[in-house]
Amino acid sequence: MLQRLKDVLAFWRPKERVLPFGVLFKKFQSILERNNHILELMADMGDKLGGEYIFDRQYILDVAEEQADMVFKLISDLSILTQRKNVELFLAFEHIRQAIQEELNGTHTTSGKSYVIPLRELGHDLSEQAGGKMANVGDIRNRLGLSAPDGFVISTRAFFDFMQQHDLLTLAREGIAAWDGRDDVALVQLSETMQERIMAAPLPRGLSSQVLSALDDLAQRNGMRNIRIALRSSAWGEDGDASFAGQYETALNVPRDQVMDAYRKVIASTYSYKAWRYRLFKGYHEHEVAMAVGCQLMVESVVGGVLHTYAPHLADGVMVANAVWGLCSPVVDGNSPTDTIVLDRAAPYTLRSLTVGDKRRQLKLAPGGGTEWRDTPEGLHDVPSLTVEQLEHLAQAAMSIERYYKRPQDIEWAYDASGTLQILQSRPLRFWAAPLSTEPQLEDVTRNAEVVFSGRGLVAQRGVAVGKVFVVDHGTDLNTFPHGAILVSRFTSPRYSRVMHKAQGIITDVGSPTGHMSTIAREYRVPTVVNTDVATSLLRTGDEITLDATQNIIYRGSICALDRFSLTEEDVFEDSYEYRLLRRVIKHTSPLNLLDPHADNFKPSACRTYHDITRYIHEKAVEHLILLSERQGAQHLSAPKRLETDYPLGLMLIDAGGGTTCPPAARTAAPADIASIPMQEFLKGMTCEGMWCTDPVSVNLSSFMSSFTRTFSASLASPNEVGRNLAVVLKNYMNINMRLGYHFNIIDAYISDVINDNYIYFRFLGGVTEYIRRSRRARFIAMVLEHFDFRVEVHGDLVVGRLKKLSRERMSLRMRMLGGLVGYTRQLDARMHTDTDITEHAGTFITAMKQFLGA
Amino acid sequence: MTTETNGTSKRLRILILDDEPIVCKRLKPAFQKQGYEVETFTDSSSAMDRLKETSFDIVITDLKMEGADGMQVLSTVKALAPETRVIIITGFATLETAKESYRKGALDFVAKPFKLGDILDCVRKIEQEQRGGAQ
Repeated sequence: MLQRLKDVLAFWRPKERVLPFGVLFKKFQSILERNNHILELMADMGDKLGGEYIFDRQYILDVAEEQADMVFKLISDLSILTQRKNVELFLAFEHIRQAIQEELNGTHTTSGKSYVIPLRELGHDLSEQAGGKMANVGDIRNRLGLSAPDGFVISTRAFFDFMQQHDLLTLAREGIAAWDGRDDVALVQLSETMQERIMAAPLPRGLSSQVLSALDDLAQRNGMRNIRIALRSSAWGEDGDASFAGQYETALNVPRDQVMDAYRKVIASTYSYKAWRYRLFKGYHEHEVAMAVGCQLMVESVVGGVLHTYAPHLADGVMVANAVWGLCSPVVDGNSPTDTIVLDRAAPYTLRSLTVGDKRRQLKLAPGGGTEWRDTPEGLHDVPSLTVEQLEHLAQAAMSIERYYKRPQDIEWAYDASGTLQILQSRPLRFWAAPLSTEPQLEDVTRNAEVVFSGRGLVAQRGVAVGKVFVVDHGTDLNTFPHGAILVSRFTSPRYSRVMHKAQGIITDVGSPTGHMSTIAREYRVPTVVNTDVATSLLRTGDEITLDATQNIIYRGSICALDRFSLTEEDVFEDSYEYRLLRRVIKHTSPLNLLDPHADNFKPSACRTYHDITRYIHEKAVEHLILLSERQGAQHLSAPKRLETDYPLGLMLIDAGGGTTCPPAARTAAPADIASIPMQEFLKGMTCEGMWCTDPVSVNLSSFMSSFTRTFSASLASPNEVGRNLAVVLKNYMNINMRLGYHFNIIDAYISDVINDNYIYFRFLGGVTEYIRRSRRARFIAMVLEHFDFRVEVHGDLVVGRLKKLSRERMSLRMRMLGGLVGYTRQLDARMHTDTDITEHAGTFITAMKQFLGA
Repeated sequence: MTTETNGTSKRLRILILDDEPIVCKRLKPAFQKQGYEVETFTDSSSAMDRLKETSFDIVITDLKMEGADGMQVLSTVKALAPETRVIIITGFATLETAKESYRKGALDFVAKPFKLGDILDCVRKIEQEQRGGAQ
């Protein structure tokens, strides 16, 4: 209503220079084209993350530049269309463009001046600030949805400020540059000097206060009085390509007043002799050294240990866990007996063997801080420390992590007093990687395998998956999706994101690698092939298959060697610099924050990404065109023509070019004169009698159609069109403004043979009955639109449906459906008595419409 | 090209040269997985040195690089071992550079970014040709 009022007010604005409608409409079309192009570039960038493409830094520079150029021109187009300067839009654009430039230059800082980043914000994209280990913990918690102790990280920025303040970095760099590479005693001396200087140096201003206040927040959030913290090293590269296992310091059970000292100790351990030696051996440069420090709540572990997701030295296809009562560090240090459990790597993770260790002692948290040994209670030392359920849960979590990182993992874990599995850290397991030459040749392994199908569809995310098929459709309860299964479905659906942490792979009959589901699959790194046509017809629930989404082949049976190969690839492409950079750039281009055109934040200054800007401009351009069609239609275009039909639609047509075959001066048009493709289809749907036969409401069509044009408030319409519905038509375009009683309906559609230009925009608002019934009808419309593939937003009794990029045929069917829907909905709100009516009516309508469209 | 007579042909040897390490990093394992022998270089001078030492069946090279560029590499390869197939990969694909590289004897010209599958197909075709030719 408010929008209508605005439109009416806009109508009375002082006159602007009037351009021919055709010129403005061309501008509008150019906006749509650019809009499409920008969205395509975004999809393209997302697509590149799937690993199917080889791209380099140059590609990222090029695509960023092209996108910026298009967005700039898009804003300029809007300025011409609306004849406004749009300063705020240009400012928003400049802000985003600069942020992207900084990412490309490597100078972008997301954390500002802060020394502290909360765990809930961490992920691999912040590995520069948070270090490798804590970035991983962030992924595991925030992306995979597993539990990790709450906490924060003291950033690498703190490290740099601390070290630079006292010229300690220079000392290290010059020291190592002067070292001859052989003299161990000299390196030991350098290492000792560094550590002493670090322990003695004052911390940067503000660091202690930020850390202590983060600690207090953490304590408050978790309802704790005497907070105890574990401090873990998290260096650049740690837990990435090099594991750095056990090279740096960890401090357990640290009370608040000792945290800053513990921090210094962890920093100092960066320069311990063994760590330095390790880095030199791995080829690290001194300028690649930076240490962040994770601070997490200390877990009072009941049982803890280490799990290796791969153990070829024990048997093929197994993982191995070692567990002890209490804290898990005795397992890492290897200084006490443990339970050894060998499990299948594949779901359901059957137990292969269990060796119970004689666990007489356990490491526990000491009341004053630190840890202490205690005797294991009588009767517990020689029983298994894990239940079958705990083992299964642990194995599931471990395989989720392995699948995400595409490498066997070495995972430290603990079950806390509440029985929750806490992942303490996870790092790649590398020791077993056999040289490739001793592996059987891959061609030999796959030569005799039965290929179910190959080369069908498109790879959305590369990788290999071995598991059992689980076929899913619209009706499937996703809670029943088994862990470790391969999801097979007719369609792609973003709703599958719920099970992506459990799925080994995804195969669909239809869908695109640039769709929402594919984007999410890439985030979870689930090997995915879409648009295969045949998956659901060739695969059944329970089939054991191997999905090779690197070669795009589906084999019957499990080919573990394939899986093994993908786990031993030297580099995981997602971890490379270019992938990280592209992901960071995408953060500034693709997320959509401006969701609701009627929300307060739907304004230029709230645009934080290019997507926001394009979304805003599209909305404004459509709005403006509607405004134009109303105004110009009354003032400048050729005579409006009344559509003559058997149904009293009261529709006035404005032919802006090729929309009808009538002479310009004609005052009426017959349905046969309509040349506009969307309008033709819309009218076909409106006048369809077939669907009404099955309508339980059994309304006489012409009787309710006649009510279309009955009285409505004069304030809702401009004077010239009272009592009339208005449509602007072109050959491929239709913009219809319909007032049906008190309802207001806009349909804006473009249908041509160029799939990417096609769209339908549908907006429905208002009604005579009380709000609850109106909103029921809104939900009915939403259900129907969703069924026919529209993207739908419902706000009370406002429904906005959008459909884009379907073929001309599919668009046409949907226009016909809309014709029927507009008719059907007309009388509905008076009949919507209960919520169950919504589904019933939706069912009735959809069934009838499908028959009609199918006929 | 040598082909063993007992049916199992010799592994194809491929040299990859691109100054952006990511390209080498991605291509190497993909080709290895297909059973090819792969060497990668990120600077053209060491690649040229290697080419002078030993021959390769296929050379895949970037066009725009510091030092000797892809065209020079192409000419060198063709002078040293005319039977070596050269595939040019470039982010600056123009009709002119494509024409020039074909004229100088390049077998294929691929614009970056490209699909891994496409370049694998390209190499597979060369392999089949050579096997067919040797029979």
